[in-house]
Amino acid sequence: MFKKIKRNLKIFLLFGYQSLKTTGQSRQAIFIFTLGKILRFIFLFGIIFLVFSKTKIIAGWSLKQVVILYLTFNFIDTFSQLLYREVYRFRPQVISGNLDLILVKPYHPFLRVLVGGVDFLDLLLLVPYFFLLLFFIFQEKISFFSFFLYLTLVINGLIISTAFHIFVLALGLLTTEVDNAIMIYRDILNLGRFPIEIYQQIISFIFTFIIPIGVMITFPVKALFNFLSFNNVVFAFFISFLLLLLSIKFWQIGLKKYQSAGG
Amino acid sequence: MGKYFSVFTLTLKEYFAYRLNFLIWRLRVFIGFLVPFFLWLTVIKEVKNFTGYEKQSIVSYFFFSHLLAYFILGTRTVDIAGQIQNGEIINLLLKPMSFFYYYFFRDLADKILNLLLSFFEVFLFFKIFSISFPSANLQFLPFFFLFLTLGLFLSFYLNLLISFLGFWSAEVWAPRFIFFILISILAGSFFPLDLLPKKLFSLIIITPFPYLFFLPVKMISSPQTLMDKIDIYFLLFMGSFWLVILFFLVQFFWQKGLKSFSFWGR
Amino acid sequence: MIVVKNLTKIYKAYRKSGNLIKDIFFRKYEDILALDKISFEISKNELVGFIGPNGAGKTTTLKILSGILYPTSGKVSVLGFSPFEKKEAFLKQTSFVMGQRNQLIWDLPAIDTFLLNKEIYELDEEKFKKNLQKLTAIFSAEKLIQKPVKMLSLGERMKMEFIAALLHQPKIVFLDESTIGLDIFSQEAIRNFIKDYQKEFKATIILTSHYLEDVKRLAKRLIIINKGKILYDGSLTTILQKFSSVKYVSLILEKEIKKEVLFKIGKPIAYQFPKVVFRIQKKDLPQVVAYINDQIPYLDLAIEDEKIEEVIKNIFENHKD
Repeated sequence: MFKKIKRNLKIFLLFGYQSLKTTGQSRQAIFIFTLGKILRFIFLFGIIFLVFSKTKIIAGWSLKQVVILYLTFNFIDTFSQLLYREVYRFRPQVISGNLDLILVKPYHPFLRVLVGGVDFLDLLLLVPYFFLLLFFIFQEKISFFSFFLYLTLVINGLIISTAFHIFVLALGLLTTEVDNAIMIYRDILNLGRFPIEIYQQIISFIFTFIIPIGVMITFPVKALFNFLSFNNVVFAFFISFLLLLLSIKFWQIGLKKYQSAGG
Repeated sequence: MGKYFSVFTLTLKEYFAYRLNFLIWRLRVFIGFLVPFFLWLTVIKEVKNFTGYEKQSIVSYFFFSHLLAYFILGTRTVDIAGQIQNGEIINLLLKPMSFFYYYFFRDLADKILNLLLSFFEVFLFFKIFSISFPSANLQFLPFFFLFLTLGLFLSFYLNLLISFLGFWSAEVWAPRFIFFILISILAGSFFPLDLLPKKLFSLIIITPFPYLFFLPVKMISSPQTLMDKIDIYFLLFMGSFWLVILFFLVQFFWQKGLKSFSFWGR
Repeated sequence: MIVVKNLTKIYKAYRKSGNLIKDIFFRKYEDILALDKISFEISKNELVGFIGPNGAGKTTTLKILSGILYPTSGKVSVLGFSPFEKKEAFLKQTSFVMGQRNQLIWDLPAIDTFLLNKEIYELDEEKFKKNLQKLTAIFSAEKLIQKPVKMLSLGERMKMEFIAALLHQPKIVFLDESTIGLDIFSQEAIRNFIKDYQKEFKATIILTSHYLEDVKRLAKRLIIINKGKILYDGSLTTILQKFSSVKYVSLILEKEIKKEVLFKIGKPIAYQFPKVVFRIQKKDLPQVVAYINDQIPYLDLAIEDEKIEEVIKNIFENHKD
């Protein structure tokens, strides 16, 4: 059992190392991309201050709280993009047929198609984002329990993100029609940049309880400030567990229905 | 002219070839509309009046912003860099058809389709959520059309310029990414540019970015608040100035690119 | 080793009617019968060639045997495993090489992919080094493995693919159109490679190819498949016995012969003095040879089998109906 974990870890690290080697070949692109991401971050951060320049509260949230929410979003978003970057390359592999050569290898395909392309550019940004986040959190009076709950719910949010990515992979097995499934996940996730309450009731409901973006991002921050009801905490863990199971099942169905390319 | 019309219809057909993809694309565009719209709606609820904007004008701004955003900024010229890489561009160059007209009509199909669909989607949305439908401000209509045309061409030329990078480098997606970010910040798709403090605003007004998109939208939604601050003829002048500059840049880099590229990759 | 019984595979594809509206809202799906209850068995150390026209079902068969595709019905057993389950023990003993597809990492040198495979297949350092050396030596590719894959020619890339695929000494090797698009030298090199590999490691090799040359040189056993059905399963030599009723007799004439005398044998398919070629039914061969020896002064006489390509082409033509 332990041997297996060790082996999988070794393979994972090897993939990451090779991914790093490949990215390292285009230094110009690295610089430009990182620059662009920093610009976007600063800009949207600035919008928050612009919004709060004339008001102290929006939808019940204060400036500090919205800032922490935004930084939490950034952390979760960057972390999952960094880890699951390979999912963005899945469709070309299906179309070219190279996926077949991955499926016949004696390791779980997820090691390759899900986490096989760790994006180290994002890792560069993740560290400052993380420290920035901690900086703002510790400016507030937070109890240890709230902080612990917050961390657990952030991890929970990452589990939901994993489930989404697996869904996208499974979709890629079932149809080659859709070339932007992962992007729609990103767009929906973007709704979580600001507190989910700003959206009209129905939309807010849908994106909390059905496509749980709200659970991923708003809930942890609410827990940090003791706004989160016990029921919602339970729901948060339940939905992530459920979605993960469903996504894996969906992937298995996808494998059976997979028709492969060419031949 | 007939051949360009077929370019037009062919582009439309391509969209419908993948219906699931098409639906998801529309969903994405619509979701992109929700974030700034609701953010500012919520803000207005608290503040009632934000530097001259009230509920009416904010709704109006984002309604027209959504309609016109893709119409002006959307483009198929992103395909160009790829076509340079894999040599497909050779086929286009050898056909008895102007390269520029070809892409212009491709873009036109793209934009018109988007405009109609966006209108339909937002209309439904407003109806469902009982938001009062904003009315177009017809006072400055001729100026609206002027700025709209300006914006369309500025966008077309800027997009072409970025694509032409493909003549010299295999990695155009990085500059295009930055371009996209700059546009979303500076063009006014996330918030009305005149919300910015005066100094910043006067700096931005000298760059080409507000003329892409912010100005046409402003002209049709709530021009009065802008007119009180700035002379409209100055704005027209700046916009045209950039148009001329970009026009010559495009011609220059197109010629240079054709001469220097070596069909590598194919 | 490999047992296939009544294997069937049905694909779903949707039919485009050409009408824009219909294609958006009222799509029709149709079932494509790729494999129709095929059965065969392959034992250890066999080299089997699958031939058939495009869409015959060759690649589908290989993909099911390797575990990529899920069989619609029927029984498939490879090394005692059910391939689709893709159990680790199964995958470690098999390998797949597809023509014009890569398992090699594009931007890096092949050696990096080899090192990756070493980890994936859990080869110990010594074994890895030994196999790598052996395989690279056969191709004389010691320098090639250090070059980034994207800079290699197609032939060089396929050689690297083969090395990557065989590092772990698989017991079963699937080769799908692995020589397609290669120049004759590379094709030759790869054929020799496959032959040597099998001899040394006693592996079972199943290959598909459009090039009859591949099959002729390598396979002792041939499975001819068309439209999802197996038309023939047997050795290369028996196929001639079974399906060919024709022999080619070619003569180099010593001197000009009167037409009537020559044409008594039959109408030649080629006649350019001094060479003449006849197409003779097998059953007539003894008489013809006797007649030639008796009546026709020749410098050389040769009797050849019908070309395999012709035989197979005829099999397909007859199966069309």
